[in-house]
Amino acid sequence: MPRQDRRSVDQLAPVPAAPSPPDPGDLPRQLPSREALNSLLQQEFPGAPGELSPIRGGRKAAEMRLSKVDPARYARSRNHLDGLVTGLSPYIRHGVLSLAEVRDAVFRRIRHRDEGGKLINELGWRDFWQRMWLELGDAIAEDQEEYKTGHPASSYSNALPQDVRDGCTGLACMDGFREQLVTTGWLHNHARMWLAAYVVHWRRVHWRAGADWFLEHLLDGDPASNHLSWQWVASCFSHKPYFFNRDNLERYSNGRYCRSCSCADRCPLEGSYDALESQLFAVSQPVRAVPARSKGKSKRKR
Amino acid sequence: MDLTNPVVWVHEEALGPANPALQDHPKAPALFVFDQAWIEAQNISRKRLGFLYECALELPLTLRKGDVVQEVLAFAKRHGADGVVTSGPVDPRLNRYATRINRELPLWILDGDPFVELPRPPRLGRFSRYWREAEPLVWEGFRG
Repeated sequence: MPRQDRRSVDQLAPVPAAPSPPDPGDLPRQLPSREALNSLLQQEFPGAPGELSPIRGGRKAAEMRLSKVDPARYARSRNHLDGLVTGLSPYIRHGVLSLAEVRDAVFRRIRHRDEGGKLINELGWRDFWQRMWLELGDAIAEDQEEYKTGHPASSYSNALPQDVRDGCTGLACMDGFREQLVTTGWLHNHARMWLAAYVVHWRRVHWRAGADWFLEHLLDGDPASNHLSWQWVASCFSHKPYFFNRDNLERYSNGRYCRSCSCADRCPLEGSYDALESQLFAVSQPVRAVPARSKGKSKRKR
Repeated sequence: MDLTNPVVWVHEEALGPANPALQDHPKAPALFVFDQAWIEAQNISRKRLGFLYECALELPLTLRKGDVVQEVLAFAKRHGADGVVTSGPVDPRLNRYATRINRELPLWILDGDPFVELPRPPRLGRFSRYWREAEPLVWEGFRG
């Protein structure tokens, strides 16, 4: 298969329509509404669960999102669930926007490098995961390294617990994240990390079960970003497991879940990092021996 | 040897106007296939299919569902094509399809603009290693 080098394209010309004579097996292009699309998909893919996401696909929606990107505010607020994150991931994952286009849009919108550093860094993560996938191929679905939790890999369940899948764990945060995942197909990165850490460390589930569940739903579901991030949480692709506590979740979610949680007075996520560490892991050396970035924040946040 | 009458295969990593195959062959018939084996094996939800559908509708594509390789080859035959052009996939599943298509018809793979061009393959394994090499090069494009 020849691979050709191409000239770089500075201006993306609109692609002219090149209709092809219809064939009975072609899927329709003329759909009067999203309801019609929903019905069509129900008919053509009866096994695919759920409904449409409120998040629309397509270049127009992507450009609308891109026009709202504010790199400096992103940098300041990105760790908060209410922060000004871009929501570009589904469009980047499917090439609706290329990473190069988004990079250039960020450059055009900042005066100083400091304003765009965080966002450019996140685009770098996307590029990194893709390079890892090219290097590892299907092996991204296997443990990259041993767990550093003190627990053998065999002690992690291969099945996602039904209460997690159904959103009835009783924890308002985790059930809320599940609801958003299943209805919209998108989750804030911090919520992904909390949910993944809860599934892997609190429920002792193998990362792969959670990662596969995410891929059923995430509009940006990219096996490389997803599987390797889950492995990063689990500690199979990092030096130590990622975990968090209630204080951390409450702070970055503005307490929106804890206020209405029926488990608020017996929250399994509550406790100091030291206490949770001895509860969750079976290691002789503290997993947090590597200096954390700052007191009170997640122990590790990429 | 150049292709004189190709079709374009658009896969789910390049559903935008920056797709280099669409850019270089704007008049060629182009196809997107919903990969039924993948959808069923991974229990892909309707949300994801709807998102892909809406992305595909904004491009001049014929939409099909089924076995990707068979559908691409049938589409090429339908248009009397002498080959297939596509954008470079990352997903090994898509690369396997590309290999199978190429056994039957010449397949040209075009790469789009990269995020960063590195002088040598980076040391992967940890993001920090990659970013140490990549970050200064990414920022060379910034004219503050």
